[in-house]
Amino acid sequence: MMKETQGIILEIVRMSTEDGPGLRTTVFFKGCSLNCSWCHNPESISPKPQIHWLSASCIGCGICVETCPEKALTKTENGISIKRSVCNGCGLCTEECPTTAMELLGKKWTVHDLADELIKDRAYFEPSGGGVTLSGGEAALQGDFCLALLKELKSRGIQTALDTCGQIPRTTLAELLPYVDILLYDLKEIDTAKHKQFTGSGNEKILDNIIFAADYIKTHALPKTFWIRTPVIPGATDTPENIRGIGDFIYTKLHGTVSRWELCAFNNLCRDKYKRLGIDWPYANMELPEKTLMEELCRIGKSAANPSMVCWSGSTKIESNPNNKLTEKHKASISGC
Amino acid sequence: MLFLERKVDMKTNSTPQSLIKEPKGLSGRIQWLRDYYFRGYERAWNNEYTSWTTGTPWDIIYNELTFYIVPETYTLLNTMGASYLQAAKPVKLHADFWKWPRVERRAWFVKEAIVNYVPQEILPGDLLAGARFNIQTSMCFTKEESSQWLREVKGKNGARAQIKWFHDHGYGNAGATSGHLIPGHENLLRIGWKGVYGELLSHYNALENKERQGAKGAQLRAMMTASTMARDLASKYKDLCLELAQQEKDQTRKKELSIMAQSLSKVPWEPPATFWEAVQALWLNHMLVMTDENYPGPGVSFGRVDQYLWPYYQHSILEGMDREFAKEILKCFWVHANTAYDAMIRNGNQGITAGFGQLITLSGLGKNGKDMTNDLTYVILEVIDEISPILEPKPNVRLHRNSPEELLDKVVNMIESSQGAPFLLNFDERSMAGMMLEAKKAGLTHLINESNVHEYAPVGCLENTMVGNDRSGTVDNNINLLKAVELALTGGKDLLPFTDPLTGKTETIRQDGPPTGDSTGFRTWDEFWEAYVKQTRYIIQKCADLYEVSESIRSRFLPTPYLSCMVKGCAEKGMDITQGGAKINFTTMEAVTYATTVDSLLAIKYLVFDKKHCTMKELIDALKANWQGYEVLQARAKNRAPKYGRDDHEADELARQVMQLWCDETWKHSTKSTGRKYRPGMLSWNYWAGDGYIMAASADGRTKGQFLSNAICPSNGADSKGPTANTNSVGFVLGGKAKDFPGDWKDYLNVLPNGASHTITFNPSILRDPEHKEKFKAFLKGYVENGGTALQINMLDPGMLRDAQQHPRDYRHLLVRITGYNAYFTTVGRELQNEVIERVSHSKF
Repeated sequence: MMKETQGIILEIVRMSTEDGPGLRTTVFFKGCSLNCSWCHNPESISPKPQIHWLSASCIGCGICVETCPEKALTKTENGISIKRSVCNGCGLCTEECPTTAMELLGKKWTVHDLADELIKDRAYFEPSGGGVTLSGGEAALQGDFCLALLKELKSRGIQTALDTCGQIPRTTLAELLPYVDILLYDLKEIDTAKHKQFTGSGNEKILDNIIFAADYIKTHALPKTFWIRTPVIPGATDTPENIRGIGDFIYTKLHGTVSRWELCAFNNLCRDKYKRLGIDWPYANMELPEKTLMEELCRIGKSAANPSMVCWSGSTKIESNPNNKLTEKHKASISGC
Repeated sequence: MLFLERKVDMKTNSTPQSLIKEPKGLSGRIQWLRDYYFRGYERAWNNEYTSWTTGTPWDIIYNELTFYIVPETYTLLNTMGASYLQAAKPVKLHADFWKWPRVERRAWFVKEAIVNYVPQEILPGDLLAGARFNIQTSMCFTKEESSQWLREVKGKNGARAQIKWFHDHGYGNAGATSGHLIPGHENLLRIGWKGVYGELLSHYNALENKERQGAKGAQLRAMMTASTMARDLASKYKDLCLELAQQEKDQTRKKELSIMAQSLSKVPWEPPATFWEAVQALWLNHMLVMTDENYPGPGVSFGRVDQYLWPYYQHSILEGMDREFAKEILKCFWVHANTAYDAMIRNGNQGITAGFGQLITLSGLGKNGKDMTNDLTYVILEVIDEISPILEPKPNVRLHRNSPEELLDKVVNMIESSQGAPFLLNFDERSMAGMMLEAKKAGLTHLINESNVHEYAPVGCLENTMVGNDRSGTVDNNINLLKAVELALTGGKDLLPFTDPLTGKTETIRQDGPPTGDSTGFRTWDEFWEAYVKQTRYIIQKCADLYEVSESIRSRFLPTPYLSCMVKGCAEKGMDITQGGAKINFTTMEAVTYATTVDSLLAIKYLVFDKKHCTMKELIDALKANWQGYEVLQARAKNRAPKYGRDDHEADELARQVMQLWCDETWKHSTKSTGRKYRPGMLSWNYWAGDGYIMAASADGRTKGQFLSNAICPSNGADSKGPTANTNSVGFVLGGKAKDFPGDWKDYLNVLPNGASHTITFNPSILRDPEHKEKFKAFLKGYVENGGTALQINMLDPGMLRDAQQHPRDYRHLLVRITGYNAYFTTVGRELQNEVIERVSHSKF
């Protein structure tokens, strides 16, 4: 019997309201082809299973330390210390941990089992134009699994979305697009040198692929919906030149295929994830962008691309006054499209 | 007013809101009435109980049976009874009073007190008459009846001793309780009390002479007396309006008072014609139920007001009534309903605060799948929106597959502006499947069937019943299913000895349940399950036996002839509603601790039999030690054992078995004294909190003193997969959808005809903009398909987040969603947590 393809899946989030239209179940694949310095999901970058330790859940029983066959774990004053060079991600400690403080990031799934799990919210997808979003990491990196999953979902009548960074083989993209209803595509930085600086790769392949996708849409009318997202990262992608550049690119190269371009404000909620993975994060002390900046970039974006499709989202900096009481004016910063 | 605030908490299980919604757009009149109401005991006028006695030395006032489902009052029962008696004023009795049968004495006495002794008042600007209605009246006992009552209630093995033992030992509670039904308001408005009186008279005239001299004759004569109570009270208020009109200088108000006088000279004796008359009649008819039962607003519900008031509304709109004036009348109605809380205004309302549920029902299905939303539905929703926050009457909006988008939009906008739903939501298809099931089970398909089941309405909060012919005792029996797990572990004994908090005396543990064997010798899970089955059978039998005690006393001693006039079946049978006079006559077993029970069973199976992390003896020792010294085992029970509420098939399958078992056991019982069949439901009121201090530690990892699970909700923190998974689990255990055969309603199944209380807390960011509101609507539409019978929507608030900061292990799965980013709240650092709290506090997402 042929061994069934397995995918490495980081997380499944149900009733997601942020990964495409309607209510969705989002499946986060592990492994990414970029290495963005600001990444919100650092645990999704490595394709291999990893462990992490959640101090708030730990009762200090030490069972994980005893369990580890590689002796990668030690109990210290600050909790469990993981020797990353020794840990091979076997996950035995996470199976024995009584509290789930020791958690395995990246679990193996078969297409069939994963599809069974992902369609449980079908009743909520249908009234809202929602469905399943494949995200990551970069889902398309696990190309065969990703394709098999998309086919399986389509055969069960589920609307699909692919959230991609674009840094993927053209052939994979070409294989996947026929089974994608909604394409969510990240354009982070228009200047390839900067792109390389921020993400580890230039943007040539990403731009080529997005033009390919736009052409595909024009000829096949599929994916039916095409959204572009740009993370607004302080000191990196948040320049007027970048936004204008991306806007020009969308207007000249993708015209008529894109229905939404969303500028997503930098978010620092992942700060503690970096700590847990033992990674120094250059953005750890970075503040959220000012609302005025987001509005200004949005205006620039609108002047470059079709204005009705440009919007911004995300949290902006709270300006506290000396009494630490928020005024009416400040209450109003609920953003949206 | 503090006690009102507290009651909101108890009923909805929400933590205090930081953003208090403000009323809006109120007229000067309504603003004043509302403000005046909220001045509480500082008011010159209030609706505090007055008490009235026959003046005999053996008189008894205060029916404590009604409070047996309110354990907080157990220690106060003697004091309450004594204080009402002490404060009671005598009523001059009719010369023949003591010659009459008790039911006639009672009917006459209540009427005499409320019409001729309790003062009538009208507050400034009020558009409705009918102010004081909270009274405590003599039970009108003869000396012999009085001593028999005392023996049966307060005797050594009397009703009180039995309820106390049952509750002290963690079984739950049961008692024959007032209210909790929907009187036949629609019919009463259509024919007026005059019509009711006429019907009673013809029933009476049809009796044989011998029957007239017997119980039936007495009952019908009592009901005839009661049927003139509203007429005579209205007449008093008419005189008052005329008098006030005469003194009034303001021409507009003078005119209002004259119209009120005119109205009161007609309704509720004659049928109303206008909207104002109909609302006036409805108020008087309703408030006198509370007078008759001597209990303020205990689930005395209105049913589908937007349906039966609709013809009067249309009539008046055609005649030129301003839509805003209709709202003005309704807002007066709202203020009146809240004065029920005045009953014990000076000494606080104790536990019964949570018992007020004068529920109104809005929208819902009609015949042939038609949606019945009309303009009055929206008028009433606007009233709620404008006058909230205020507690009564509680609204429940019925949703279904064909609910109009406009209604859903209004509902979602109101949830957003109130930071949570200012109403409960009921779901028709699932609810109706349950009503159809009870009809089959009880042989009542001539009364509940496909052609009329859409006329159902919820009582109190969400307890589904038919309307105007149904009393189903929706809060009368409350059983802690978890007790059966405890008894299965111990072979039928309490796990811990009971110590009386007052005397400090510790009882020795006795064999109480059936001896199902020493569980430490069980080799397989099936053996344990068999023991659990037997103990479940036992606790349900025990609860039914306990209920029989108070039900039997009520049926012999405590008639409510006025209420009996408003419920079909009583006149026809010549039988009081307390004796089983209603055509549909269930009593409801409400299961408490469902998820804690399921999770405990799952944990026993996982820890002892599947993973063999411990022996049964070790587990029992851990529970006896309240998990102290067994922290690793407790952590496994809490975190590694499967849980109900995650849409996990294996766990939910066991949950379904637990559900089926206790439902099957419940259907087997009927009351002996009144012939009421038991039906199952899930409403945990506040017991899931209070009984958490009584029940021993449980195998799901809960320590003694921690809350139990609430109604059909997953255990606190167990629903780690979010609202949709939580909802799917709830719908599944209720029966889900029928696959290869017809369901009980369309393809729906529902094993709990009473319905089940379900609360979900959402992140407020889900309603942050129109696009997200559409997403939330999709959730509600999905709930119609996959969910339960009723939903209470709460919004995550700063209070809960601060508690999560303090007790991170209780909130491990609390997901915060700030824009595109989801994070478990307890895993982000303190500084970011504070920021999240600040954003939630100020709706900045």
